[in-house]
Amino acid sequence: MSFFRKKRLFTILIGIIVLVVLIGYSLRERDELTTVEQFIKDTVGWAQSAIHTPVNYVTTIISNIDDWKLTYEENRILKEKLAEYKGLIYEVQEIKKENEELRKIVDKDDTIRDYNPIHATVTARSPERWVQQVTINKGLQHGVEVNMAVITADGMVGKIQSASQFNSTVQLLTGFDQFNRISATISRDKEEGNDIFGLIEEYDKETHSLLFKIIEESDQDLEEGELVVSSGMGGVFPAGLPIGTVKEVIPDQYGLTRTALIDPAADLYEINHVIVVDRVLEVEED
Amino acid sequence: MKKLILPLILFFFLVLEGVAIDLLPPILVVGDYMMAPHWVLVFLALITIFYDKKDTYIAVVYAIVFGFLIDIVYTEILGVYMFTYAVVIYLIHSLMKVLQSNFYVTLAVVIGGLIASDVFIHFVYTVIGIAEISWKNYFTVRLLPSLLANILFLLIIYPILVKLLVKWSKEEYSD
Repeated sequence: MSFFRKKRLFTILIGIIVLVVLIGYSLRERDELTTVEQFIKDTVGWAQSAIHTPVNYVTTIISNIDDWKLTYEENRILKEKLAEYKGLIYEVQEIKKENEELRKIVDKDDTIRDYNPIHATVTARSPERWVQQVTINKGLQHGVEVNMAVITADGMVGKIQSASQFNSTVQLLTGFDQFNRISATISRDKEEGNDIFGLIEEYDKETHSLLFKIIEESDQDLEEGELVVSSGMGGVFPAGLPIGTVKEVIPDQYGLTRTALIDPAADLYEINHVIVVDRVLEVEED
Repeated sequence: MKKLILPLILFFFLVLEGVAIDLLPPILVVGDYMMAPHWVLVFLALITIFYDKKDTYIAVVYAIVFGFLIDIVYTEILGVYMFTYAVVIYLIHSLMKVLQSNFYVTLAVVIGGLIASDVFIHFVYTVIGIAEISWKNYFTVRLLPSLLANILFLLIIYPILVKLLVKWSKEEYSD
C-alpha cells in the first residue's frame, strides 16, 4: 500500500514539474509554433470551419431577412451617396496619379501606408476568456505572418499571435498588454507638426478602453472624439489604420504624461470577416 | 471503430467550445460575466463515472490528451488544462470507487470537478499574470456563471449520452 501511495505522490510531483516546464516554454517569446502545434491547430481549425460554415450560413440568412425590410430606405440613401462618390472617384484618381508622379520624382516607391490585404474569416474564439484570441482560416500558406496587423472595415482589431500552415491565431486588442505596444498618432491637419504621437500601451478592462500614452508633453489638449490611427513608426503595422476615438484624457500618476482612454473603433466581439494587413515596406532586420 | 467513438465525441466538443463562443449572441460574450465552457471536462467526468471500470483509466488518458489539445488550440499556454483536467478526472475516478453511479452523484461530482478545475486554472493564470481580477470578483463574475452554463450542458447531454456510455462499456468489458 505504501508503495502505491509513494507512486501516486511521485506521479503528481512529476506532473507539476511537467506543468511548470511547459508553462515556462510557452511563455517564452516564440517566433513560430512547433510542427506538432501547427498540425493540431490546422486539424482543429479545419473541423471548426466545417462546423462554423453551415451554422454561419443559417444565421446569415436570418439576419438577411431582417435586412430586406430596410432595403428600400437604404437603397434610396445609397443612390444619393453614389452620385456624390462619382465626383469623388474622379478626384481620387487624379490625386493618386499626381501622388505617383511626385513619388517617382523623389524616387520613393513604397510607403509605410501601403499594404497587401489578405481576407480571412473568423472560425472560432478561445473559450478561455482571459486569452482574447480568435482563430482565422488563413495561415502561412496564404502569406500570413506573425505580428501582422488585423483589421476589419471599421478599424484595427488585433495582430497575428501565431500562424500555422492553414490557420492563424489573432490576439485581439482587448488582450493587449505591455508587450504589444502600438505606435499611434492623432493627426491634425491644421498646421504642420501638430500631430500627437504616443503608444497604445494596453487594454484596460475596467474602463473597456485602450490606454494611449502620449510621449511628448504638448500644450495641446486632446478633444473627445478625435481619431487615433497607427503611425507606422513601430515598424510592423502600416500607417493609417484607424484604432479608435478619444473618450477621456487623464494625467498619469506622476503628472508628467497624460493618458487618453481610447474607445476601439472596431467591434471586438462580433467579428466575422477580417483583413490581415501585409505591410509592403519591409523593415530591415537588425 | 468502437474505440474511436469516445475520442471523436471529445474532439467534437473541443471544436464546439471554440465555435459556439463565436456564434453565441454577443451579449453573452461581451457582458460582464465570463462563461468558460468546460464541456470536454463534463464529458470526461461522464466517461469516468459510466464507462471506466475500477481498474481502467481511459478517462485520465483522454483528459491528458484533450487537455493538452485545448492548451494548444485555445490558449497557447501549454500544460495548464492538461494538468488540471488530468488531476480532476483522476480524483473523480478515485471517488467513484466508493460512490454509486446515479444522477445525483454525477451532478455533485461534476460540480465539484468544475469548481476545482476552474479555480485551479484561475490560480495558475493569476500566478503567471494573465488573469487580472480579484478572487472576490472571480467568484461572482466567472465561477458562478461558468458553473451554471456547464451544469446546463450536463443536463442536456446526460439523458442522451449516459445510456450510450453504459452500453458501450458493457460491450467493451464483457468479453
